[in-house]
Amino acid sequence: MLSVFFLKSSERGGWRAWVGVAFWLAVLAGLVLYGAFGTRLFILSTLGTVFLYVVLTQAWNILGGYGGYLNFGMVTFFGTGAYASAMIFHYFGLSPFLTAPLAGVAAAIAGLVIGIPTLRLRGAYFALVTMIITFAVQVLVLNVPYTQGALGIYMEPVGLTPLGVERLFYFLFLGLAVLVTVVVYAIEKSNIGWALVAIREDEDAAEIIGVKTIEVKWVANAIACFIAGVVGGLYAQRIMYIEPTGTFSFDISLNVVLMAVIGGPGTWQGPLIGAPLVLLVADALRVTFTSEVNRVIFSIVVIVIALFVPGGVMGMLEYWRRRRKRAEATSVAEERVS
Amino acid sequence: MLNQIAIIVADGILLGLIYAIAGVGLSLVLGIMGIVNVAHSAFIMLGSFFAFELFRRLGIDPIISFFLAFPVFFAAGVIVYRVLITRVELAPQTQGLVAMFGLMVLLENLGTIAWTTDTRVITASYTNQSILIGPIVLANVKLIAGALALLLIVAFWAFLRYTLTGRAIRAMGQNRSAAMSVGVNVRQLAAVMFGLGIACAGSAGVALGMVFPFSPNTQILWLAWAFLVVILGGLGNVGNTLIAGLVVGLIQTAVAAFMPFDYVYLVLYVLLAVILVARREGLSRAARRGI
Repeated sequence: MLSVFFLKSSERGGWRAWVGVAFWLAVLAGLVLYGAFGTRLFILSTLGTVFLYVVLTQAWNILGGYGGYLNFGMVTFFGTGAYASAMIFHYFGLSPFLTAPLAGVAAAIAGLVIGIPTLRLRGAYFALVTMIITFAVQVLVLNVPYTQGALGIYMEPVGLTPLGVERLFYFLFLGLAVLVTVVVYAIEKSNIGWALVAIREDEDAAEIIGVKTIEVKWVANAIACFIAGVVGGLYAQRIMYIEPTGTFSFDISLNVVLMAVIGGPGTWQGPLIGAPLVLLVADALRVTFTSEVNRVIFSIVVIVIALFVPGGVMGMLEYWRRRRKRAEATSVAEERVS
Repeated sequence: MLNQIAIIVADGILLGLIYAIAGVGLSLVLGIMGIVNVAHSAFIMLGSFFAFELFRRLGIDPIISFFLAFPVFFAAGVIVYRVLITRVELAPQTQGLVAMFGLMVLLENLGTIAWTTDTRVITASYTNQSILIGPIVLANVKLIAGALALLLIVAFWAFLRYTLTGRAIRAMGQNRSAAMSVGVNVRQLAAVMFGLGIACAGSAGVALGMVFPFSPNTQILWLAWAFLVVILGGLGNVGNTLIAGLVVGLIQTAVAAFMPFDYVYLVLYVLLAVILVARREGLSRAARRGI
């Protein structure tokens, strides 16, 4: 008797899934059109930042959302990438557009250095160390001679009009966001994705059924850090001047966690919802409040979500979907009985 | 040379005592309740400002504030437990982690709004005095803060060791359901335990504020030190936390004697990584260790 419901729900699920895909494709088409024809600098640059955060949040999502290992210091790897690119430019004159993959490699190495000792272990060690390490790295960058400390590093401007520059980064980050979302989607459907979810749900059980938990965590973390590093390298080129306090700003780490938690960790749609939501609200609030008040508001939001809506927006949608399905199922059953 | 070593050792011990109380609350909450209280250092920061405000507005000496902070922060801890922790206690650990992370950011930024990011110091009558013990010059504040820290740690140890409540807390740490079945009111006790952890953080903050300059946005540094102490000393054991604190303090003064202070963080991280790799055990297993 149960099989009836399974058949029905799977048919309907397929149809609804296509609606979802169509929705995201329509959004993408709209964004491409706006990027090509829109001329308002402010909107282009805000959306560019949104895409940048989509990429970062997707990267965070791999280990944090699917695997349940929270990285509270995403900016460490972002900043490592930014500095790697900037320093290569400074000493060798290579453009960050070329060296972005190298920046990603540098960030991935940083991720391994932090991940190898902490991800061997269960529990919150990784979260705590990533949280603390940002401060240490910032102090290091401020004091090591090669990075020019608080002076920062200047980059060469791209030889385009302001609008052209914004459009360039708009499409660059949009493309990266799409690419990374596809990667995350592929990971979700792959063995690594299932392994990560298994680790999140019950690490002992995962290990017993043969998941190489430690290696999976390392790989997931390295991928995430690589992505963050690439974005960091491009970011350095975008703002053309980086210095330690701004580049390793805790705000970036906070934003990433916030976006993932609000959108729905452990789903590929979550960051697509969370990043624009948080950034646009933050931009609206910034007009009226200082950044501290902003953070107070967002931290309260984080607490409330952690306490009452652990799945974020996607979790809520899933909850409603299940409830509706259950209601349908009972009504069908009632019909049968009568 | 010998003199220098003596000074480094004495300084390190006093510093270590302060690190030990910064870590003891975190260690107990983590070890006994399994809650990763990343907001611990935010409460340490609030403790420092508690002493700062009492001193500035009412002229109350930080030594008195140290004892006043304990009940005040105990109450704060119980409130946090009732409002936040009870809702995430049984949920996956990540959910609690996110909630405590939110609390940390909230407290830090409320602190920034109230006191700005300026670095503050508490200048009591004895702040710039020092005494000579043999060849060693010791700052009075460090002696006083170290003594207060030692007092708190010994009191805590005795409480857990000899009182009925302390025994029940240890029982809860060893086996929660067994403790429940012999009639321990686990929920109430957990609130007490969390309150005590935060109370420790508050008093630690007062002691820290006597010795170090502080500001709301550098509180995460104290989380680093407290966490290092906890990792080194293991969870839920007051004696080991004390020893770990002393070791960290000694390492810091020794390193600072040879290198610029900023590189202490690098040494700290390497130490952390080495311990983590060497111990190879997760929080849950460590939590079952003897208390």
